[in-house]
Amino acid sequence: MDPPLVSETSFSAANPSSYTLTEIWPFPPSSSTALGLRMGNLADRDGSIEESTVTEQSGGNGNGTRKTRDLSSEEDYSSKIVSTTTSANDLNDSNGKRRKISGSRSENNNSRAEIEASSGANNKPAEQSSKPLEPPKQDYIHVRARRGQATDSHSLAERARREKISERMKILQDLVPGCNKVIGKAIVLDEIINYIQSLQRQVEFLSMKLEAVNSSTNSSPMIEGLHLKDLGAQPLDATGMVFGPQQTREYVQGSQSEWLHMQVGGSFERAT
Amino acid sequence: MTSKHVIAAARTSSIKTRFARRFLRSLLKMKRSNRLGTGSQSNEEIKKRSTHIIKTAAYASMARAVGPRRTWSRSLLFKLRNPRRIQGVSSKRCLVTKENKNKRITRNKMQIISREPPSRADSLRKLVPGGDSMDICSLLEETAHYIKCLDTQVKVMQSIADYYSN
Repeated sequence: MDPPLVSETSFSAANPSSYTLTEIWPFPPSSSTALGLRMGNLADRDGSIEESTVTEQSGGNGNGTRKTRDLSSEEDYSSKIVSTTTSANDLNDSNGKRRKISGSRSENNNSRAEIEASSGANNKPAEQSSKPLEPPKQDYIHVRARRGQATDSHSLAERARREKISERMKILQDLVPGCNKVIGKAIVLDEIINYIQSLQRQVEFLSMKLEAVNSSTNSSPMIEGLHLKDLGAQPLDATGMVFGPQQTREYVQGSQSEWLHMQVGGSFERAT
Repeated sequence: MTSKHVIAAARTSSIKTRFARRFLRSLLKMKRSNRLGTGSQSNEEIKKRSTHIIKTAAYASMARAVGPRRTWSRSLLFKLRNPRRIQGVSSKRCLVTKENKNKRITRNKMQIISREPPSRADSLRKLVPGGDSMDICSLLEETAHYIKCLDTQVKVMQSIADYYSN
């Protein structure tokens, strides 16, 4: 226990008493221990945080520091790292002070980790703001980004596609009667298919009815005048939702030529 | 604002009125042609044929009222315009070589695997005109529009039939 202390003081040449002590003590063993300590100190100062093996070796060389090293090594990981750095600086201090310093260092480490986490949290909204999507989806993206999966473009595109599909499914659910309460895409699709089929069957049935009516009645001049009035007075909410103004505007340009085409002879007659 | 609203309302209603106008015209035309040329065939066949004609007329006038902007109306109009060509294409497709057949089968399988609800989406594709070549997103969009148009078509046809029967 004693020799490292003495030899350490012997190297600082300002003390005359220590100088005499070095004359008294036999030279080779003390110098070897002192050199080992010095090298250990240097090693600690160089690679203090990264490599714990270096500090262990230095502890093996210097006998006086081994006990404290073992004590510090029994602590958790972060405090161990910090305590090696501090123990390299002040060897002669008490254990309590060392613990205190290591505690403060570990606190520093924690705060640094917090700063890093906050900077990471700052980075994520920046990524999100670069992508112009809806704000309520950001929580989901945040979770995915924490796992480290969602930053690539493929998953972003896939998510956008899924959102698109679910949005359209919602629109369809609103359109098809009795489909609002149904949960699950498959059942909704079944409902949609059934509804389309029923509508097409209705068209078939109505065309049969119209055929019967059309062949029987002889009042052809009546047809023109009344229906436009009659149909114009009906509620028109069914068509008004999907059609955007641009679309109908574009149609108005093309409608007249088609109207002409219709008057020349409808293609349905050619079709059959 | 109010004038804009009125214009928008007129435009949105115009699909319905356009469809009704077209459909009534075609009905009139059919009536005249029926009056002129009825004779050789049996009554059942004539009924069947004219029912088919009326149905086709209804679909065609709806597609024309929507215009060529939507995919389903475009494909419907295309089919109605040249049915011969479509049939020729389909018969050609039946005569494809084995390699192409295998390719087509694998592609269909791939589609079935990749799409989310496989059989239902395919049956929806069969129902919506021109749905064979769509991906699922546009298929759903077109389906929504098609449903609305079918709905109005049914309503207009119903009202016409009611008026006639009265």
